[in-house]
Amino acid sequence: MKKVSLLILLLFAGVVSGFAQSLTVEGKVQDQQSKPIANANVFIKGTIDGATSDSLGNFSFTTNQRGEITLYARMIGYAELTMQVLEKKSTALVLIMKPDNVTLDNVVVSAGNYRLKGNGQFGKISAVDIVTTAGSTGDLYHSLRTLPGAQMVGESGKLFVRGGDSNESQTYIDEMHVLSPYTTTGDNVPVRGRYSPFMFEGINFSTGGCSTEYAQGLSSVLALNTKDVSPITKIGVNASSVGLSGGGTQAFEKGSVSVNLDYQNLKPYYTLYPDRLNWIDPYQLFSGSSQIRFNPNQRTVFKTFIGYDRTTFIQQLTSLDNLTSRDFGMKDDNLYLNSTFQETTESGYKIFAGAACSFNNQHIDNAVIPADSYRDKEWEIHLKTKVTKRFSDFLRLNVGLENFLRHYETTYTYSAAIHSDSSINHSIRAVFATAVLNINPNLYAELSDRMEYTSINNLWNSNPRLALSYNLNGIHFSGIVGKYTQLPDNKYLLLNNNLLTEQCTQYVGGMYYEKNDKIYRIETYYKNYKDLALQEPTVLNSDGYGYSKGVDVFFNDRALFKNFEYMLAYSFNLSKRKYQDYTELSTPQYATTHNATFSIKYNIPAVKSILGITNRFASGRPYHDPTKDGIMNSTTGFYNSVDMSLTYLASKKVIIYASATNLLGRQNVYNYNYSADTASPGGYLKTPVIDSSNHFFYIGIFITLSGKTAYDVSNF
Amino acid sequence: MKTTKNFLCVLFFVLSFVASAQDLTPVVQNVNKAKDVSELIQVRSQLERFIVAQPQQWLAGYYLAYVDVQLSFRVQTKEEKVQYLDEAEIYLNKISELKETDKSEIYTLKGFRLYALIALDPQTNGPKYSGEIFNNYGTALGINPNNPRALILSALYKNDMAKFMHQSYDKFQNDIDKAVALFAAENSTLLTPTWGKSWVDFALAKK
Repeated sequence: MKKVSLLILLLFAGVVSGFAQSLTVEGKVQDQQSKPIANANVFIKGTIDGATSDSLGNFSFTTNQRGEITLYARMIGYAELTMQVLEKKSTALVLIMKPDNVTLDNVVVSAGNYRLKGNGQFGKISAVDIVTTAGSTGDLYHSLRTLPGAQMVGESGKLFVRGGDSNESQTYIDEMHVLSPYTTTGDNVPVRGRYSPFMFEGINFSTGGCSTEYAQGLSSVLALNTKDVSPITKIGVNASSVGLSGGGTQAFEKGSVSVNLDYQNLKPYYTLYPDRLNWIDPYQLFSGSSQIRFNPNQRTVFKTFIGYDRTTFIQQLTSLDNLTSRDFGMKDDNLYLNSTFQETTESGYKIFAGAACSFNNQHIDNAVIPADSYRDKEWEIHLKTKVTKRFSDFLRLNVGLENFLRHYETTYTYSAAIHSDSSINHSIRAVFATAVLNINPNLYAELSDRMEYTSINNLWNSNPRLALSYNLNGIHFSGIVGKYTQLPDNKYLLLNNNLLTEQCTQYVGGMYYEKNDKIYRIETYYKNYKDLALQEPTVLNSDGYGYSKGVDVFFNDRALFKNFEYMLAYSFNLSKRKYQDYTELSTPQYATTHNATFSIKYNIPAVKSILGITNRFASGRPYHDPTKDGIMNSTTGFYNSVDMSLTYLASKKVIIYASATNLLGRQNVYNYNYSADTASPGGYLKTPVIDSSNHFFYIGIFITLSGKTAYDVSNF
Repeated sequence: MKTTKNFLCVLFFVLSFVASAQDLTPVVQNVNKAKDVSELIQVRSQLERFIVAQPQQWLAGYYLAYVDVQLSFRVQTKEEKVQYLDEAEIYLNKISELKETDKSEIYTLKGFRLYALIALDPQTNGPKYSGEIFNNYGTALGINPNNPRALILSALYKNDMAKFMHQSYDKFQNDIDKAVALFAAENSTLLTPTWGKSWVDFALAKK
C-alpha cells in the first residue's frame, strides 16, 4: 500500500509539472531619465528564474511560478528594485531603477574640499604618496602645503589656509578634535605633525566650506581617519638621521592591536651638519602610541588610540635689544586619547559616538629673560555623538550633539619677586544638523546649521550653511555660503572673558573635472571676518575685522607617460585684517599673494626607486619696517625652494628613503626683526628671520621584520 | 501511514538539497567556461540569484567575488573596475562571516582581488597592498599547504617581486610543479573552488 501511495504521488507530481504552463516575464530596465540599463539582473526572489538585461535594457525569461510573483532587479550602483507582478500582466514591464545610497552619498564634490584619500581605494594621496612627495620630509602638514589654498609659511610649519591664521585650521582624528596636532620646536624651526601619516587611511583636507560637524575652524579642517582593522601581523624598525623607531601590529580574527615607539635626537645630525642656532641640548622627542581596533561584525567598529610624546631641548637665544643671552629650555608633554564607536543598524541608521581627551603641558625656562619660567597647561575633553540616516532618494539627514570641556592655565615666575598665574575653564556645547537633498540626479543641495553655546562669553551662535553641487556632463560646479565661528585664542580669553566669538562668512564657488587620470580644479572664494580679537593701545576688544579673497587652481596629470605624475597648484590671495596687534587694516605677516607648486613623481622600476622633485614659489611676505610710515609697509623677497626625495627598495623587506630641501641653497627671508641700535640712537638694527639652516637632509632605513609581509613601512 | 509521511518528508528535504547543489554545479561550470564580459555578467547574475535564494551558500558568494575580480580585468573603464572590485570585497566580507567556509580559499581570493587592484594602478596600489597580498597567500597556505590556487598565485607574485628586485625566486619551478600535481588531483566534480589552472600556464610562459 505504501509503495503504491508513493508511486501515485510521484506520478502525480510528474504529471502536474509536465502540464504546468510556463509564464513569460519580460520588459525593460531603465533609469530615471528613461535611459536603458544594460546588465541588470532581473529575477524572481527565492528562485534562480531570471535574466540579464541586454544593451537596450530588455529582458525576458520564463518561470513555472504562478499567481502574483515578486520580481527583483539588481544592478551595481543602483538601489535594489522590488515589484509585485500579476500573472496576467507579466509582459511589457518597465522597471525604473534609482541610484543607490552609496552612489547618492558619494557623488557630491563640494567646493573647498580636497578628498585626498577617501575611504575607497582610489583616493589621490596615501601615506606613501605623502612621504614620496619631495619637500614633505615625511610630514603630513608639510605635504598638504603643496596643495592650493595652503600658504607657504616656512618658519612655522603649521597650516595657514586661504589668508587665515594657523589657529583657524583644526585637525580631527576619527571625527574627534585634536587640541595640539603639532610638535613643539625651537625658534624658527618648523613644526611637524605629531602623528605619522602611516596611521591614516583617509585624509580629507577642507580648505573652506567644511561640514557643520567640525567646530572651531574659521578657515579649514583636516579630517583624518585611522586605518581599519589590520589583517596583518607585522613588526618593523626604522633608523634615520634624526632617530630610531619601531613597532608592530598583532592581528586577531576580528581586531588588531598596534604599538609604535619613536625616539628622535638631533644632536648627531647637528654634529654632522650644524645649523645657525646655538643648541645647548638639541631637540629630543620620545613618543609612544597604540591603537586597538575591533570589528565584532561587519556593521560595528570600535577604535581606541592613545599617543604620548615628550619633547625637550635647550637653545641659547640672544636678545636683540640688550644682547644678553639665555638658555631657552623647553619641556613639552602631550597626551591624546581617542575612542570611537560606529555602527550601521539593519534599518540604515549610522550611529557614531566618540570621546577624546587632549592634554598638553609646557614648561619653559628662561622664556623671556634669564631666570624666568613659564608653565602652560591645557586640556580638552571632547564628547560627540551623531546619527545619520538616508530616509529616501531625496533626503539624507545627519544630526549630532557635542561638548568640549576646556581648561587652560599659565604661570609666569621670575625669581621670587614676580609670580602671576591665570586660568580659564569653559565649555562649548553644540547641536548640528545637515540635510542633504538629492533634488535630481545632477543637482544636490546641502542645508545645515550648527547651534553653538560658548560658556566663557555666555553666547549662542548659529552657523547656517548652504551648499549646492551641479553635475554637467561630468563637470562638477559647486558653491557654498556659510558662517563659521571660533573662540579667540586662549591668550586673549585669559585677558578678557567677554570677547565675542570670532566670525567668518565664506562664499566659495568652484569647478571640478576629472577624466583619464587628469584632474582639473578651480575655485574662488571670499571670506568676511568680524568680531576678531583686537588689542588696541588701552583695551582688548572684539572690534577686529578683515577679509580674504582669492583663486585656487589645481591640475594633476598621471597620464603623460607611464609611472610619471606631475602636479601644478597655484593660489592667488588678497587678505587684510585689523586684528590682534594690527591696529590698522593690513595684510597679515603670514599672508602671501602668490603661491605656486610644481611637483613631479617618477617611479623608476629599473632602479627600484621613486624620485620626487618639488619646486615651490611664494611671493614676498609683508613686514613692518619702523623706519617707514604705517604698518606692514614693506615686503620681503620671494620664497623659492627646490626639494628632492628618493625612495629606494633595497629588498622586499628594506626600504631606504632620502630627502633634501632647498637644493639651490636660496636663503629665504620670512620677516625682519628690528631692535634699537645702541650705537646709533634712534636707529634700528634689522635682523632677517630665516631658516635655521639652508637645507634639511633626511635619510632613513625602514626594515620589515615579520615573515608574511613586505614592502610595508607602516607599523599600524 | 505515518511512516510514509516521514519518508516523504525526508525525501523532500534530500531532494531539495540535491536539487540546489545540482543547480549550482552548471553555474560553477559556466564560471570556468566564461570567456568574455558578456558571459561573465550572465554567470554573475545567476550566482547573484543563488545568493538571494540561499544566503548561507558560501560557494555562490565566493564565486561571485571571483567573477567580479575577473570582470575587473576585462571591463574598460576604471570606474567599472573599481565597482566590481568593491563588490568583490563586499561578498568576501559576507562569506567570511559564514561558518561553513573554506578559509584557505577565501584568503586566496582576497589576495587575488588585491592583485587586481595593483594591476589597476601599480604606482599607487603596489606599495599599499603588497604586504597584504603576501599575508593573504601566506595565511591561505598556512591553513592548507595543498591549496593549488594559493600556491601558484603566491609563486607568481613572489617571482614578479624577485624580478622587480633584479633577483630570482629559486622555488618558482618547485611551486609550479607542486601546483600542477595538486590541480591534477583535484576532484572537479565536487562543489569546491576549482579555478586557477590557467595561472599555471601563465607561470610556465613566464619562465
